[in-house]
Amino acid sequence: MSSEERLFRFGKPAWLSSVQTRNAGVYLAGGLFSLAFYILLDSAVWSASPRNASHLHVNFVDWLPFIFSSLGMLIINSVEKSRLASDSFSYSGSGVAWKARVVLFLGFAALAGGMAGGVTVFVLKFVVPGVGMPALGMGVENVVANALVGVSTVVLWVSQNMEDEYAYNLAL
Amino acid sequence: MPTAGLKTIIALSFVLALGFLLVILSCALYSKYHPLLVVATYVLAPVPNWICSHCANPDDFVESSGAAILDLGRFCTGFLVVMGIALPVVLAHSGIITTAAAVMSVVGGLLIYGTIVSFATFFQEEQEF
Repeated sequence: MSSEERLFRFGKPAWLSSVQTRNAGVYLAGGLFSLAFYILLDSAVWSASPRNASHLHVNFVDWLPFIFSSLGMLIINSVEKSRLASDSFSYSGSGVAWKARVVLFLGFAALAGGMAGGVTVFVLKFVVPGVGMPALGMGVENVVANALVGVSTVVLWVSQNMEDEYAYNLAL
Repeated sequence: MPTAGLKTIIALSFVLALGFLLVILSCALYSKYHPLLVVATYVLAPVPNWICSHCANPDDFVESSGAAILDLGRFCTGFLVVMGIALPVVLAHSGIITTAAAVMSVVGGLLIYGTIVSFATFFQEEQEF
């Protein structure tokens, strides 16, 4: 990782691959996932509270996109990152990178499906019947929660890749 | 910080008492005892980190499975910390508790968690010496 071998004119700042940044990224991912869960829980609690004057209520359909997003996040971050790059691990059999990519594809499909499902619920349940603002917030919260799960996945993924580079630097 | 031992402990216990006072006031003033969950959340928040740090060897850089369980602990801790802020906000948004009670319980919870974190860091530094 010497400065002569890099591709871009601006070098990577030193704090970007430190252990503290990586740990802060993992904490941040947990916080973002918590925020997503509580935004969705807020819509469910508000739906059951007396402040909800409309006839619309949050039921299992509203939770389903979040369940798929969380499942996708779990799958994506369970894959061992070092298996993705190359197929040269002699002890792990052939085609491990291919299998890891298939599992990763399933994870990203679940994540994207969750986000698309959130938008679908928002459009079909709230926008098309022309629901007004205080009840419309339930649909908006659904979309925001699924987007936050995606952001949390990205933050966790980037943090874990940071760790790999850090370990590589130590090993050399 | 080995010299600031006694004063630190006194200040931390004072802040902890202040945090508990705020949370209990936010419950008792309106006789709705939901914000007490914030205290349980913040007391439980360092527990996943603590358990997972005992399960893994962080100096082991060859096997990355040790780092994975540490990451799981950090993820759960981050989840619980944000939960302590989000829970009163959710309750206040639905009108279960009032906004003033939510603000008091959030501030009190942050004081309690700050006490726990700073106490843990002081204790760790004493252990290293």
